[in-house]
Amino acid sequence: MLKIRGLRKQYGKHIAVDGVDLDVRRGETVVIMGPSGCGKSTMIRCVNRLTEPDAGEILVDGKSILSLDDQSLREFRRTVGFVFQQFNLIARLNVLDNVMFHLVLAGVPREQAEARARKALAKVGLESSEHKHPANLSGGEQQRVGIARALASNPQLMLWDEPTASLDPILIGEVLDVMEELVRTTNTTSIIVTHEVGFALKVADRIILMDKGKVVEEGSPRAIFADPQSEVGKKYQRLIAS
Amino acid sequence: MFRFFRDGLYRDYIILILVTIIAGAAVSSGVAWAVDVYFGDTIQEMIGDNGEFDLILHIREASEEAAVRELERIAQQQYPGAVISKTISLAGQVNYLFGFPKEAKTAETFSRLPSIFNAVPGLNSYTVIVEPSVLVRGVHPSISDTLQQRFNQIGGVSFAFRDGKNMLIVLEGAEHSKRVMNEVKQILKDYQVLEIRFPMGFDVDVQSTGDAVIQLLRKEYPGAKLANVSSTEYGEELDALMKTLVEMRHFLLSYASKVTIKLAPGSTVVMGEQIVVQGLSQQVPASGEEAASDHVVIEILEVNGDQAQGMIVSGSAAADGGVLTQPGYEYLSESKIGKPVGEVRIENERYRLNYAIEESLRLLRELDGLSVEAALAVERADKVLTTFQEALMQLEVLQVQMQQLNKGLAEKGAQSTSEQLIISLFINGLLKSIAKSGSETAEEFDLDQLENLDIASMRSSLESIAEQIGSIQEIDVQAIIDQVSDIRDSLPDLDDEEIGKSVRLVDNYIAGQVIPGERIQILVEKGPVDTEAVEPLIRSRLQNQYLNVYSIAAGTVNPDTRTEVFRILKEVRATIAGILSIVLVGVFLILDHATIFSTLKWFRANQKQPRHGLAKLMNPVALFSAAVGAAVLAATYWLSRAAVPYVSMATVAVIGMGLGAAVGIFSEKFSPVRADEIMAGLALGLNNAQIMHEIVIPDGRPGLLQLMNRAKQKF
Ligand SMILES: Nc1ncnc2c1ncn2[C@@H]1O[C@H](COP(=O)(O)OP(=O)(O)OP(=O)(O)O)[C@@H](O)[C@H]1O
Ligand SMILES: [Mg+2]
Repeated sequence: MLKIRGLRKQYGKHIAVDGVDLDVRRGETVVIMGPSGCGKSTMIRCVNRLTEPDAGEILVDGKSILSLDDQSLREFRRTVGFVFQQFNLIARLNVLDNVMFHLVLAGVPREQAEARARKALAKVGLESSEHKHPANLSGGEQQRVGIARALASNPQLMLWDEPTASLDPILIGEVLDVMEELVRTTNTTSIIVTHEVGFALKVADRIILMDKGKVVEEGSPRAIFADPQSEVGKKYQRLIAS
Repeated sequence: MFRFFRDGLYRDYIILILVTIIAGAAVSSGVAWAVDVYFGDTIQEMIGDNGEFDLILHIREASEEAAVRELERIAQQQYPGAVISKTISLAGQVNYLFGFPKEAKTAETFSRLPSIFNAVPGLNSYTVIVEPSVLVRGVHPSISDTLQQRFNQIGGVSFAFRDGKNMLIVLEGAEHSKRVMNEVKQILKDYQVLEIRFPMGFDVDVQSTGDAVIQLLRKEYPGAKLANVSSTEYGEELDALMKTLVEMRHFLLSYASKVTIKLAPGSTVVMGEQIVVQGLSQQVPASGEEAASDHVVIEILEVNGDQAQGMIVSGSAAADGGVLTQPGYEYLSESKIGKPVGEVRIENERYRLNYAIEESLRLLRELDGLSVEAALAVERADKVLTTFQEALMQLEVLQVQMQQLNKGLAEKGAQSTSEQLIISLFINGLLKSIAKSGSETAEEFDLDQLENLDIASMRSSLESIAEQIGSIQEIDVQAIIDQVSDIRDSLPDLDDEEIGKSVRLVDNYIAGQVIPGERIQILVEKGPVDTEAVEPLIRSRLQNQYLNVYSIAAGTVNPDTRTEVFRILKEVRATIAGILSIVLVGVFLILDHATIFSTLKWFRANQKQPRHGLAKLMNPVALFSAAVGAAVLAATYWLSRAAVPYVSMATVAVIGMGLGAAVGIFSEKFSPVRADEIMAGLALGLNNAQIMHEIVIPDGRPGLLQLMNRAKQKF
């Protein structure tokens, strides 16, 4: 479904993503791991062009994403759910509005949008909080709103950029549970950037290891952590063992 | 960058710019208009409707009641139909407006203003505000009559009259104002007052010097009509101060010790130079040595041949008898004593004055006693005279009796008896002795001579002496003594050194200044005389390099008070509008446009590589914001009919550019971007317009932008 070839992104002299190739099949759950600053976020943002890559090719269902015009790009983005590390909720809007406003702006009638939003909120267990504002929610709840917002557009592809990285350990669990549930019950294609090794082992169809802007290893979770080939892989192996 | 404005945002932004301009112009001209109306009303309140009142009478608060009664009397009896109205009062003074009835608004009335109102109690002064009129200020008295006649002949002029140094030209209607003003200016151009000012201390005979100048100018300007119109009055307060200072300088100098230097042959001194004498010091000055601190230093004030005048600048020289004569020496740098210059004579005027006062006090005290004694003496003389006269009369009787006795004796017989002889001898002796007491020259005594004494005239002269002595006694001699003592005590207790310093101080202050009165004014008709050209000529003709020649207008034209006030108001209005439009545009840029500039910058940074250093400052957003600032401010300024003095439209545009650029460069400080929310918007497939309407603007500062956004905002 997704095909990335020779993806490159450079910030000044620093090369954040250095010629990444990646293929993701429909319905597959791919977990990307790697040390901090290795270019995971940059790469995943390039997929829906929140970051404009310098070179390379991104194809979704054979369609080049990089050559889309503004209008088509927006239409494409509406089919991709993006979950941010910092949740990126609209502080001004309540939970329900946060989950439905983009649907209304995309032309979905209000009642329909509201129904979809409520359904999405139910999936993340927040149906009772729809009138609260983000500031009055815990970090875990906020991230669940973020997930519901992504789900509300019925995405064909979900991009997760370290959804639990800014949560404290107690709250991480509730978010990971929701994510696991989603991966199990839906058939949505997912690319998940995370440092949660346990979670990766449980949900990943495939794990990609990155280091210094490059993909250094990929394979099934068991294969990678049983017999890592790369430096990074070996570090993760030791982490699991301890 | 302009990609950002797609999705209809450019339309929104143009509307925002237009709304900014209209709102800015509306608010600034609105506020300016309100100020205008407020002041206009205040003026209306202050000086009434146009043409309604002719005078403002300034009256002491305490006399208000009496003054009003008198004003009402004037209005009822002299000018029926006159209107009186109280206006604002300030600082112990109440002000009343007074308007003559229409038929009384004549030259005759206005030229009699002082006599009309002279009985108003507590009237401090009045201001003429007759409308419509043209005011000519500072009319030279020598031409006010001529000008009045000429002004009266201008079309549209009802009449002109003098009000102190001003001349008011009352118009038939306000519509004539501009034209009359121009004609008046034209008339005033025919006259010019040349003023020649002399430096301080220069005594000038106003008449002859003025005539000399006229003669000179006549040659240079044959066509001009010239008249000497010098007057000796000093109008300006500064002039009075200068005059006082000069008088004080004279006084101080006359009070200081008079120093005359008789220069030794071959010696020269110049004005300002200093010499030194021994004074009362123990130490005799010697050439080459250093002067002692109690030596007397003298500054040369004037040199005439081998005579010089000076003034003590340090040390004291009060000698007994008030005069000190000592050799003088050059006083060189570092207090060194130089060559002898001649004989210095120091006369202490204060000593002399004191002496004179002491003497007259002594005499006055004696005079008191003297007059009493003199009165007594006259009285005694009078008594003597009376006794003498009585004696004389008795003597005459005696003489007659004696003659008869002698005759009788002779008749009795030719031979005298010894008895007769004795009697005859006795009588002669007696007569002789009486005559001696009346006259010194009674050698050859003759009673007839004695009779010739003019007793009456002696008496009358005695009486006049008595009278005079009496009048001396009537004078309160003690009061005179007290007065003179007071004078002695109040004489400044200054020594020469202090006087010298004061004189120098005064000199420094008035250095280069010109004293009033020592000026000549020449009225020029059909000139004008070029002051710069004639100044050197007059200088050389009068042999004075320090005089100055000025040209003074014969008068300056102003519109009437109301027109003038409204003209100023208009300027104030335009200035307020200008300043307000700058401030408002600044505020709008910060409140509204900064949000857009920040977002624009964020989008640029997110789409391309971030820039650094100069490139950051030169970024297109700053240029764009500068252009927006210039356009918005220029348009707002123009629309609000603003005009700040000395600020041109180009300057306004530059100010706008500066404002815009500053707001552009520092936009994040005024309106920070919520990058995470924008990022979410982008990820959710919102277009730029939607991101602006739903995320950026509602998050920004409240302002026009938010107001306009209300209609578009869905959440
Ligand atoms: N907008 C940017 N401007 C400049 N450098 C950037 C920018 N975004 C990322 N980088 C740099 O690119 C490199 C890769 O960053 P990226 O965020 O993709 O790493 P990451 O793998 O997601 O790390 P982490 O686990 O900390 O999130 C880092 O060195 C980072 O400093
Ligand atoms: Mg990251």
